[in-house]
Amino acid sequence: MQIQVKLFAMLQEALGETVTVEVPATPSAEEIKGAVSQIAPNLKQMIQTSRLAVNQEFTTNAPIQLQSTDEVALIPPVSGG
Amino acid sequence: MYYLNIGDSPINVDALYQKLKDPQYGGIVTFVGTVRQWTGDIETKYIDYSAYHPMAEKQLEKLAAPIEAKGARVVIAHRTGHLELTDEAVFVGVAAAHRGDAFRWCEYLIDTLKQEVPIWKKETDTDAVRWGD
Repeated sequence: MQIQVKLFAMLQEALGETVTVEVPATPSAEEIKGAVSQIAPNLKQMIQTSRLAVNQEFTTNAPIQLQSTDEVALIPPVSGG
Repeated sequence: MYYLNIGDSPINVDALYQKLKDPQYGGIVTFVGTVRQWTGDIETKYIDYSAYHPMAEKQLEKLAAPIEAKGARVVIAHRTGHLELTDEAVFVGVAAAHRGDAFRWCEYLIDTLKQEVPIWKKETDTDAVRWGD
């Protein structure tokens, strides 16, 4: 399935606010990160250290039952405070 | 009830402190994070903060709610946008019946905020632009 992934911080600066990637049905977070890494191999390390959020909740490693309306986001290491 | 805010307006420390005052509390601990000039040999000129709204607010609620459930009051504000040296970036305040809980929960909140809340800093230093710490 095709999904849009929201990006933030340095990933947003490099790739824009969202990227569209093709992922398997019920993908894992790793599979989604892998699909984004294919678009931007030079950012692979940053993408790998990012966390995935679906509908604004951090995900676990379990397969994700994605609906087309779900909001998927890559969260680079945070640095507030 | 907790007060949480993430936005571009300057942080008004006095106004946030006033929200913590209440006859049921005997101890108020506040932490204010400001923009520092020097980190070792690196000189910072200014910092731009951005956030993932409203996930960042939701994450703050998850931090504040369990502490409020213990009877304390939580006030957290994080500024986004462009900040100059000495500007307040974050305010974390806890009011509790006694100082021990207030100290402990204030430290817990700022430490956890730095791990779990999707806010990012883009630091413009004299030698380079750096994301994160």
